[in-house]
Amino acid sequence: MSELLKQLFQSGEIYKHAWITIWTTLLSTFIAYLIGLPIGVLLNVTDKEGLRPCVPLNRALGLIVNILRSMPFVILMVAFLPVAKFFVGSSTGNAAMLVMLIIAAAPYVARLVESSLKEVDRGVIEAARSMGASDLQIIFKVFLPEAKPSLIVGAVISTVTILGYSAMASTIGGDGLGKVAIIYGHQRFNEDIIWVCVAFTVVIVQIIQEVGIFIAHKTDKRIRKIKKRRVL
Amino acid sequence: MIEFRHLRKEYPAANGTLVALDDINLSIENGVIYGIIGLSGAGKSTLVRCINLLERPTAGEIVIDGEDLVKASGKRLREIRRNIGMIFQGFNLLEQRTVEANVRFPLELVKTPKEQANRRIDELLRLVGLQDKAKAYPSQISGGQKQRVAIARALATGPKYLLCDEATSALDPNTTNSILELLKDINRKLGVTIVIITHEMKVVESICSYVAVIDKSKIVEHGKVAELFSCPKSEIAKELILPGLIRSESTPGNKLRLIFDGSVTDKPLISALSRECGVEVNILFADTKTIDGKIFGHMVIAMPNDDRAVAEIKSFLDKNGVTYKEGI
Repeated sequence: MSELLKQLFQSGEIYKHAWITIWTTLLSTFIAYLIGLPIGVLLNVTDKEGLRPCVPLNRALGLIVNILRSMPFVILMVAFLPVAKFFVGSSTGNAAMLVMLIIAAAPYVARLVESSLKEVDRGVIEAARSMGASDLQIIFKVFLPEAKPSLIVGAVISTVTILGYSAMASTIGGDGLGKVAIIYGHQRFNEDIIWVCVAFTVVIVQIIQEVGIFIAHKTDKRIRKIKKRRVL
Repeated sequence: MIEFRHLRKEYPAANGTLVALDDINLSIENGVIYGIIGLSGAGKSTLVRCINLLERPTAGEIVIDGEDLVKASGKRLREIRRNIGMIFQGFNLLEQRTVEANVRFPLELVKTPKEQANRRIDELLRLVGLQDKAKAYPSQISGGQKQRVAIARALATGPKYLLCDEATSALDPNTTNSILELLKDINRKLGVTIVIITHEMKVVESICSYVAVIDKSKIVEHGKVAELFSCPKSEIAKELILPGLIRSESTPGNKLRLIFDGSVTDKPLISALSRECGVEVNILFADTKTIDGKIFGHMVIAMPNDDRAVAEIKSFLDKNGVTYKEGI
């Protein structure tokens, strides 16, 4: 074990960075959902087969989402430095990292939400319509509740993706496991530090996945039968 | 009353337009069970979807109790829809809600107070015989039970009309019968006008009093079910009543169609005919059943090539009170 690694553990530095990785990931995922969820709903609703088709709006939204999604995160970060500066007053550090993560995650979330909503049976939508439901009622009482398990699975996937992004954010001075691995590990030739960071991220990802999938299964009323059979 | 006036529906298609409904004119009186029958692709599903404007017609009017739906605003249309329940072939229940919560759904839409909603749900689940399944999820109940939930849900807001789009097509024969009985019950007890879309003559036969036959986007004939059975005019109606017989050219010669409308009591009629008239008859088609000792249905028999024998057969049938038609 290298001296530096020992120091990192003794000073608690490594744990501090692990926590930063966790909370930046969770916070940016949460804010990304505040933005991405409504956009995803809008993408679905305005689709030409949607509840309220509006092709120009759908195309425009789709284009913005596609452009942001096709930018590699490292490039997106440097390209949007002025945006971070505008929002948080700085283009480096943890606050800037959060802005970048949100910009990168929101369009991703929007597409995931859109595809989750697409899975909702059109017949059920039609039935709700036949009962006199308004478009808003269909969104809040049919689309979102019926797609809930799939939305939760989507949230797990996006959280893990954002965790991956957050490691790259050390490029703009963001803290976290990524920074530890690159600056203390890679740049100072301490391979063991890199592997410790890997171990930490693996554990974090596993926890997020297990908890998320558990909740998704727990809330899904469609698979109860199968589950029961499995128990028997 | 539901009235269609010069209703037309077109869909854009790869090569021009596809006409799904062509100049439909039809009136459905209140309180009846009205069947709309046709083969798949005939346009019957589009027609029933026009009644609550799930499909917007290209031209024409849909008038319900004197009001033209096509001209109704969004808000008014939703109000009208609450007066028209609908059930589907695929049940279309909300999978993430319990049986009880599914029935609650339309009540939630109109913000019914909870107490009142609970009482209504109780009442409806009792009506469809599912009180004990209130807390179950759709994935835990059978197809027939799902359709019962759908019926309870469709009736929650106390509609005057109930549309059934192939509501029994996904069910086995026994379950189909029990659902049809339930619909009949609802019609009788609650006075709900029921419109049934189906491709099965059996469904029409067992519960409808009126029927319209739709073929290639047009209504080819309509009227009382009994009349359609005794003298179907269109080829398609004959095909639906006597499946397989119309197209088969394998049996040339004269045919006689015997119509049993319940006026004849169950007895070995054909063997008696054969014995008394001294002729041999060949049964080409038979679809009859006995209800309370009376025969219902049809039978097509081949006539001998002998005028005297034919006359004898006819007089035998007259004597026994059997309605018949030459040809099919």
